[in-house]
Amino acid sequence: MLSGHTVSQSGKTLLLGALLVTVCLPLGACHKNKHARRAGSPVSVGTLIYATDREPVCLDPHVQGDMPQVFVAQQYLDSLVSMDKAGTIHPWLASSWDISPDGLSYTFHLRSDVTFTDGTPFTAEAVKANLDHMVDPATQSSTAGGYIRQYHSTEIVDSHTAIVHLSRPYAAFLEVLAQGFLGIESPQALTRPRDLNCQAPVGSGPFRIVSWDRQNKIVFDRNNAYHWAPPTALHDGPAYLEHVEWRFIPEPSARFAAVQAAEVDAIDSLPPEAETPARHNADLWVLMADRPGNPTNGTLNIRRAPFNDQLVREAFIRSTDIEGALSSVFFHHYRRAGGPLTATTPFYSPDFEHAADYNPDKANTLLDQAGWTTKDADGIRKRNGQRLTVHIPLRASLSNSERTLWEQVQATARETGFDVLLENADDTSVNAREGQWDYDVRVGYWNTNTADVLRIVFSSEFLGAAGIAGHHQNESGFSNPEFDRIVNAALLTTDSEQRRDLYYQAQKIVSAAFLQITTYPQTTRLAISKRVHDIRLVPSLNVTTLYDAWVEQ
Amino acid sequence: MTLFQETGWFFLKKALIRIGGACLVLFAAATLTFIALHLAPGDPVTAILGGSANPTPETIQEIRQEYGLDQPIMVQYGLHVWRVLSGQLGSSFSQHMPVTDVLWQQAPHTLKLMLASLITAWVFAVLSVTLSARKPIFDSAFSSLETLFAGLPQFWIGIMLLWLFAYQLGLLPPAGTHGFSSLILPTLSLAIPLGGFLAQVMRESFKTTLDQPFVLTARSRGVSDNSVRFRHVLRHALLPGVSLSTWAIGALVGNVVPVEVVFSRQGLGRQLFLAVSMHDMPLVTGIILFIALVYVLASFLADVLYVIIDPRIQEARV
Repeated sequence: MLSGHTVSQSGKTLLLGALLVTVCLPLGACHKNKHARRAGSPVSVGTLIYATDREPVCLDPHVQGDMPQVFVAQQYLDSLVSMDKAGTIHPWLASSWDISPDGLSYTFHLRSDVTFTDGTPFTAEAVKANLDHMVDPATQSSTAGGYIRQYHSTEIVDSHTAIVHLSRPYAAFLEVLAQGFLGIESPQALTRPRDLNCQAPVGSGPFRIVSWDRQNKIVFDRNNAYHWAPPTALHDGPAYLEHVEWRFIPEPSARFAAVQAAEVDAIDSLPPEAETPARHNADLWVLMADRPGNPTNGTLNIRRAPFNDQLVREAFIRSTDIEGALSSVFFHHYRRAGGPLTATTPFYSPDFEHAADYNPDKANTLLDQAGWTTKDADGIRKRNGQRLTVHIPLRASLSNSERTLWEQVQATARETGFDVLLENADDTSVNAREGQWDYDVRVGYWNTNTADVLRIVFSSEFLGAAGIAGHHQNESGFSNPEFDRIVNAALLTTDSEQRRDLYYQAQKIVSAAFLQITTYPQTTRLAISKRVHDIRLVPSLNVTTLYDAWVEQ
Repeated sequence: MTLFQETGWFFLKKALIRIGGACLVLFAAATLTFIALHLAPGDPVTAILGGSANPTPETIQEIRQEYGLDQPIMVQYGLHVWRVLSGQLGSSFSQHMPVTDVLWQQAPHTLKLMLASLITAWVFAVLSVTLSARKPIFDSAFSSLETLFAGLPQFWIGIMLLWLFAYQLGLLPPAGTHGFSSLILPTLSLAIPLGGFLAQVMRESFKTTLDQPFVLTARSRGVSDNSVRFRHVLRHALLPGVSLSTWAIGALVGNVVPVEVVFSRQGLGRQLFLAVSMHDMPLVTGIILFIALVYVLASFLADVLYVIIDPRIQEARV
């Protein structure tokens, strides 16, 4: 019955297509219309094969919490709230909420028609079980648990009302709840041991996990009962795709070759060198968006010489030609992110994009002022017999293109008289060095959908926060009481204008302190077959969702 | 009766020595793994949590306790050896699953690749040597080809094959573990150098055998050249190949790592690579022990094959 319907429909489309071709042939505009003709209306059949680079270590995003996990989570989990492109929070599993005047209690009114794919109904119990699970040390959460340190407890009022109590006001609470990392899982499934839940966690999302063949693929099936899509989605009701195959192809060129050969329907982490071929390929379309948060950067360690001197920090940043490096390394496909926040982060201000642009003349003047006046035979500046040396540990897992980017930094900074040492080592050794503040520049990034990232990356609270081998999130060592006061005040109010104002001041302070060489925004980069329509990125972290996607048959 | 007892005792002794040797190999593998991973700098907790994230102090403490990382190093070593000896491989902290499950899932793919490569290498070596040895032009041409093959690195062949057959011609899949077609290129990457190497060794003994009087006898009986080569000479030339195959299995286990990485294949090689970079002690130990076991079994198998191919060896040893 269903297939008969599909056949007649495609017959009609074909006729219409033939008509269009005849009409537009003399105009030479067929190419444009071809896609429009194909687009048609969604069909509720078929399998989509999606290939990605990294395999998650656990499919439950509460455990650890790395980007590959949230990409998988977005397919089978729903969140309490959703977030649109403008950063506004909308309902999802919670249909509404009230915030107490002191900012310490959030009352969530929950949808009553939601069921997890294991048959467990979604209730206030589930909210409590999930938040408790994220903060439980045994869960080993480093992302979800860390984002809700302010969580105190959940009070169950009735089956569909839950009050979440916080120990401190936390205005970014709803924003982080919209991230897939804090997705809501079946409380029944969460009672299993952690490592068992990792293999096949259960959510209420548009797909459910069927199997996970390690180092090969995850298979999802459609959740036919689904009718609680967030307002940011293009449709409601079950997903169009019957099955999803989520494959792992770590090798970038092999992944791109796979989508070119139509072995797979879509790939993410499209390598920069493949972007131009992808855009010129008539069978592919590309989908890209910057992830919110603190962009990819090198953070300067201000706890030791030479970067304990602000003049030297500014000189170093101004002596590095990031724009030039980006265009040569990434083939003009990456834009510079100049400020402490990526443009897609709520309360981002463009005013700081050019606060420390490449300016070797100014860099030279600053170094003279700072007393690094003499140069040795290699052209490296010296002060009191000390060479102006910058140590940058680079972890083994760093991508080749980013490594090349830092080689360019090394080359341009050398012209001003910096001796930049790129020190390659395995990840755990680099982690150990970072824990002991043994670096001048630390390469990293922080993806999150709230300007509160400034507090994590720059406030005194995170100088010695967690303490795995001395690990700290504030990598610069910046400690400024005025800045601390501002970012904490921003958590006390839910008034957007006040928050905007406070985060503006915060961006201004860190920008003026020259703490980071910001390079480019973290980006979600997809190359997709033209047979596939409506793959979207969820604005909270710009993570792929296949809920609206459909494949032409 | 006495004779039987003596022979039985002999075999028992031989078996005991072999099992003892195998245990020693496994124990050494477990100890070396422990030392190597502890000498490597860095805290495994950061690897478990994925490095630069935002865990609470309670979470970190919990992990130290769960995996025994808060114990003194000698206690950790003692526990490690005790677990290995009692056959408990434990749970992989980078995979969040029991090590035996990881082995069970990944080993078949690697063994399949190794077996396919070994067979392909043997087929190449046997054909190349038997059909060309001592034939004008062919001998030196194939001999040079074998030398070239033996010298090529596996990952380089892999990349070249990928470029030609997957990227340019689009004949074979560039990545993945999906049936026979995705097995061809990785197999060739491993089989080409191995085949070249086996052939080099076999060619020497093949040529020596061709000079033996029994070959002349056979020819004088009117046996055809091909028949002489395949039925009489080859058997003698196989022996060095068989003993080298034990070594080859060990080498394959190592070379399978870059090949599985280049072709994004499932398997123990890629898993080992990930486990080492994550400082995942239980998983690294599990995979190393498994590889050591394969090696021990392969050398045992080679002994058996020796006797089958050349019964004189058994007589000589008794």
